[in-house]
Amino acid sequence: MGLPIPNSKLGMWLFLGTEIMFFTAFIGTYIVLYFGSPGWPTDTHVTHISIIAGGVNTFVLIFSSYMVVVAHEAMALRNFDKAYKALLVTFACAFVFLGIKSYEYYGKFSHNILPGQIAENDEQAIDKVVQESEAASDEWLNDLVPGDGSPERIHIKQLAARNVAGAESELTQVTQQLKDMDGASSERQAELQQREAMWQAIVDNKAQIENWVALDAAVTKLRDDVSANRLTMEQTDERLTTLQADERFASHMAAVHHPHPILYGNLFASMYFLMTGFHAVHVVVGMILFAIVLSKGARLSEEWTDWVENSGLYWHFVDLVWIFLFPLIYIIPGFDRGTPGH
Amino acid sequence: MAYQETAEGHHEHHHVNYWLIFIALCICTAISVVFDVVQLDRRLIAVLVLAVAVAKAQFVMRYFMHLKFEGAWKYVLLLPTAILACGLPLALAPDIGLHYYRTDVPQYRTAMREGIIPNEGGAPLEPEAGHADDHNHAGGDEGSHQE
Repeated sequence: MGLPIPNSKLGMWLFLGTEIMFFTAFIGTYIVLYFGSPGWPTDTHVTHISIIAGGVNTFVLIFSSYMVVVAHEAMALRNFDKAYKALLVTFACAFVFLGIKSYEYYGKFSHNILPGQIAENDEQAIDKVVQESEAASDEWLNDLVPGDGSPERIHIKQLAARNVAGAESELTQVTQQLKDMDGASSERQAELQQREAMWQAIVDNKAQIENWVALDAAVTKLRDDVSANRLTMEQTDERLTTLQADERFASHMAAVHHPHPILYGNLFASMYFLMTGFHAVHVVVGMILFAIVLSKGARLSEEWTDWVENSGLYWHFVDLVWIFLFPLIYIIPGFDRGTPGH
Repeated sequence: MAYQETAEGHHEHHHVNYWLIFIALCICTAISVVFDVVQLDRRLIAVLVLAVAVAKAQFVMRYFMHLKFEGAWKYVLLLPTAILACGLPLALAPDIGLHYYRTDVPQYRTAMREGIIPNEGGAPLEPEAGHADDHNHAGGDEGSHQE
């Protein structure tokens, strides 16, 4: 008694059964959230969804699926050389798929389309500009002045840098205090040495620190104006453009993103990375399965036929998931592209 | 040809032109992309695109995965899985996707303020009204621009 298939194949199908439930949970949840969230981001210029990249990846996966069945058929016909070549092409296709996916992910990262990082309305977008400007300012100061980047230490550095005019005098005083301690080891001495290093850096980088002070003043004014509700999102954007055009600190402000609120953007990003991320993980697992066979090289023999068949079933499932992800993520939301607003 | 090995070790041969299946899948993908370009009713296109996806899935499952040539065990194994897979979406749908009431979240207020959905209940939509909540949602510093 028993099913008329090898145990390994039954095992693979049982595993694929759990995989069906796994991905259906993600895809089903995505569909429900999509319909339950009026204003869901659909403009591909906003979400940076590339339909061409998705389409090419679909073709790559379909072609790799075709090569897997070619490999399986060749294994059954004991044409191991042909099977090896077909598996090699499949492996290469998986690489291409992940390369294109990485390019898409890079676009999301560079535009900060990441879960929990997206402003969803004008107020949040304005706040984000202020927070990123302050972070850019702090990072620059931390690079100029030695010491850790804890908020307390940054605050001390800020106070010191704003007093750049009196830096030499401060440095002289600290140096003298250190000398007066006769080299005794103590916490006080360590603290003075830290202060001496800080003032020394401010003196050494005086020109840069003066530029930082100008940026600090501009960012402080931006924060104050935003706090007093004096700026609209467009005005905040203009203020940021001006700061990024100032050659004194343009390179440090370049990382600050212009305000682009995306309604439900965080939910969208979560679902996008959840679905495509887990799919990419499955692609990597498939590559490992194929790499194990490919490592046999000329020793590939009949005993690997079941392995190739079961790996192929897994790979077709990976293709199957993408067949549904492509229209749901790339095509259907893209119908609204070009609509104003979000 | 598709080779199916039985538990007894017998091979069953089925003639399948895999190249034709591959071409059919490519054509289906091209049709999906064309649907993205043409201007039709949004819901109609969604149905058409998903129908094409189902057709592609049929090709892959029936021929590439050889389910067409498998015995009745495929139904025993896959039907319960397919039914159970619907559980989570069905459980979420009533509260997230289908409810008659309107949830009070910052995104809804923004959508109403921008006219994406009508403000039938006449809820206050001024930025100040939703500001603190917006900060909470973003995890930002509450009151950083409220004075």
